[in-house]
Amino acid sequence: MTLKDIRSVIDGFDATRAQMENLAETGQDFANEGARVQTRVASLHPKRLALTVSDLVEETATTRTLRLTGDAGTLPPFLAGQYVNLFVTVDGVETARPFAISSAPQERGHYDLTVRKIAGGFVSPWLVEGLQVGAKVSSSGPMGSFYVNPIHHGDDLVFLAGGSGVAPAISMIRDIAARRLPVKFHLIYGSRQTDDVIFQRELSELDAACDFLTLTQVISEPNDAFQGRTGFIDAALISEVCGEMANKTVYLCGPPAMNAACAKELKDVGVTNKRLHIEANGPPVDPTARGGWPSGVAAHQNVTVTVNGKGSFETTAGEPLLNALEKAGYQVENACRSGECSLCRIKILSGDVFNPSEAKLRQSDRRFGWVHSCVAYATSDVEILL
Amino acid sequence: MKDYDAIVIGAGNAGLSAAATLQRGGMRTLLLERHNIPGGCATSFVRGDYEFEVALHQLSGLGTEDQPAILRHVFDSMGISDKVDYVEEHHLYRYAVPGVIDITLPASVKGIIAVLSEAFPAEADKLKPFLDLCEVLTLEAYLAYPRAKATGDPEVIKKNCRNFVKYGLRNAKDVLDEFFDDPVLKAVLGGYWGYMGLPLKELPFSDLGVMLYAYAAMKPWHVVGGSQALSNALLDSFLEAGGDVRFNCGAEQITTDNGAVAAVRTEHGEIFTTNQVVSNASSILTYNQLLDRPELAGDVREDFKSRRMGVSGFVLYLGLDCTPKDLGIEVATNFVANTIDDEAQHAEALTLDGAPKGCLFTCYTVGDETLAPKGKSVVALMCLQYGSAWDNVKPEDYAATKFAYAEKLIDLAETVIPSVRDHIEEIEVATPMTMMRYLNTPGGAIYGFSQGIAEHGTVRDRVRPVHGLHLAGSWSGMGGFQPTYQAGASVGGSILCKQNKKAG
Repeated sequence: MTLKDIRSVIDGFDATRAQMENLAETGQDFANEGARVQTRVASLHPKRLALTVSDLVEETATTRTLRLTGDAGTLPPFLAGQYVNLFVTVDGVETARPFAISSAPQERGHYDLTVRKIAGGFVSPWLVEGLQVGAKVSSSGPMGSFYVNPIHHGDDLVFLAGGSGVAPAISMIRDIAARRLPVKFHLIYGSRQTDDVIFQRELSELDAACDFLTLTQVISEPNDAFQGRTGFIDAALISEVCGEMANKTVYLCGPPAMNAACAKELKDVGVTNKRLHIEANGPPVDPTARGGWPSGVAAHQNVTVTVNGKGSFETTAGEPLLNALEKAGYQVENACRSGECSLCRIKILSGDVFNPSEAKLRQSDRRFGWVHSCVAYATSDVEILL
Repeated sequence: MKDYDAIVIGAGNAGLSAAATLQRGGMRTLLLERHNIPGGCATSFVRGDYEFEVALHQLSGLGTEDQPAILRHVFDSMGISDKVDYVEEHHLYRYAVPGVIDITLPASVKGIIAVLSEAFPAEADKLKPFLDLCEVLTLEAYLAYPRAKATGDPEVIKKNCRNFVKYGLRNAKDVLDEFFDDPVLKAVLGGYWGYMGLPLKELPFSDLGVMLYAYAAMKPWHVVGGSQALSNALLDSFLEAGGDVRFNCGAEQITTDNGAVAAVRTEHGEIFTTNQVVSNASSILTYNQLLDRPELAGDVREDFKSRRMGVSGFVLYLGLDCTPKDLGIEVATNFVANTIDDEAQHAEALTLDGAPKGCLFTCYTVGDETLAPKGKSVVALMCLQYGSAWDNVKPEDYAATKFAYAEKLIDLAETVIPSVRDHIEEIEVATPMTMMRYLNTPGGAIYGFSQGIAEHGTVRDRVRPVHGLHLAGSWSGMGGFQPTYQAGASVGGSILCKQNKKAG
């Protein structure tokens, strides 16, 4: 017989020990829980998706849609408007770019990414011209908070799109149509020239088929034969085609210059921050033009980046640290590449770094020297911790 | 020579605390974290102009600067006292059930007695004895009992821990019934049950009583920059002491040799040798998955069978375009319910079919406006929910399901705090699946195993089957912030102690 436990003097101790024995009779050792957790998380938020390019569709001379099919079958669900970060190797550099999904969330076998070639770009020309059907690529899971949130966005929605910024819009439209959501959706879509318009045929068809949809197209550099609206999307146009804006929710997705210009125009017509959702779109085009950039430092100035315990390399002040690290062969986790998601967070051990307003830094990250490397610029020699 | 004197798996509260303690104590330590940021639960995220605290509602155990309590000393010992700023909360909580009660408990024992005496005059004379019991129980549970137990003499336990012997393992409902008659008063005093995730009849009274007394005497605190600031400070202290950290680098296997820890393999395939591993991952994951030879954990897996999966949470992070005053609230911590019945509230945590009957509305901008942009507020609106409620939700229905439940939760909050919905500028919805994703815990559990009486440290025996493998966190002790920081520091301290004995 074992000795009586001294804790038995505590009221309820013996009874609780007996209860534990009863629980053990019907309990489990949770042997399968680890695998269950992994499966469950991967079904919603996989870290990486293995994908195959199953089709390539020429949309315009500079744009094509990549159809990516999941190697493991059905893909994780996403909310129309969300993006995946596409990992690629270009010229021997392992890098990635985020793209909004243009297909409908109801399509679970593939994601369509609609990519426009940016002149002088590093990744987009390769995606538009270099990628072949059958190629294997990988991506993050679907991410981002640029989607129609049913809790507070209301039922009167306006989307201002420029260029390939129409990709999340068409996904939203397809989603609203498939779910027969009780909302109105007005797409104002700006393009430079008529042959730059992406999804012209699909949009016209959706416009004809969907009562909830209003389509306004604007061309900024029309040819002589063009009959439609011309110019840029400005306050006058918004007011004319949308009327009173106060109770509308507005989504804005275009090139950085358009986002900045339209945000201002929208404020002028009474759209508050609360009702305006702007999709992030990469690092600043010219960080040196931003407030807070140190005077006397040129974008092309050489700086040395020392990676704690792993060597060092040269880059220029105007290059985002994430891009510089990738070009130097260092791998850093990343997703939005626009300052928001914080996956590319690194610590600055010494030296000066410029963080533009795109950098959505946590208060305490700022205090302890952590930055989002996708929008961080070394303005002196720096030492970092990966 | 091993690569590291110690490897810590997971940079949650206990992992960070253990790592900082070990490295500052002179052991070369590697800290592995599968995410990109330290903290586990103790993190924040930014949306638009807002930074959202993920998990910390009220930090306990700090005490004031003049009268520091244990956690302040623990933080001192880990070198973070100069790295963090705190904001004192002057109330424990507001407890509001429309049509029944709406009352606010101040953060002092005397204040609580005064407020409740006025509201419940018939039971006024019992309040002081009750709170005295909570106080003495706290002292006995943490000071007298461990010493008495160490003597090995049951008579010493009986003599020196009279109250703990009588009340420690009784259920909280039972003890409240012994002292009070009014069900509303009992519900108000039991308001903190949600912080432990089980209704009062299943909770050990010592946990509830200690919590009530500890918050009242040592005050509840918010952290400037949120709990992320604590996590970052702990990491900074660890790095300053020379520690190595790897983010985006999960541990994949703990390798053993002759039943003792030998190395850790990461998800990237690197192998680091060591004799000491502190796992801040769940005990389930540690023993069933990480350990190279799960059969070594035979006793632990038997022990698992007497445990039950703990609760998770459903949380709305709200950025509101108005001040707390505009919302009509003066207290950061608001328990809002449509019934005083804690069991009925808890029952809703098991299913998505109904609607929440109780919730917690924490407004971090009460008392510290700097936590949000000017004129705005940051709120976490939460109800308890088990991961199992989501077992049958298909991936394609996930988003719609979470938005639908979020609406119900806002509806409940609005019965006491009107027009929340109209003020939403940013919102993020977190479900038990979100907790599972970020914490890697079965069921998305946030406090480890179900924190019932059978889980109480007093009735559990320590099982440690693998030499050099230590658990630290809510799966091997009490859940919550203060307990996990202390658990990490204590595990780190005991490893140092043994190491120094060997060396000396």
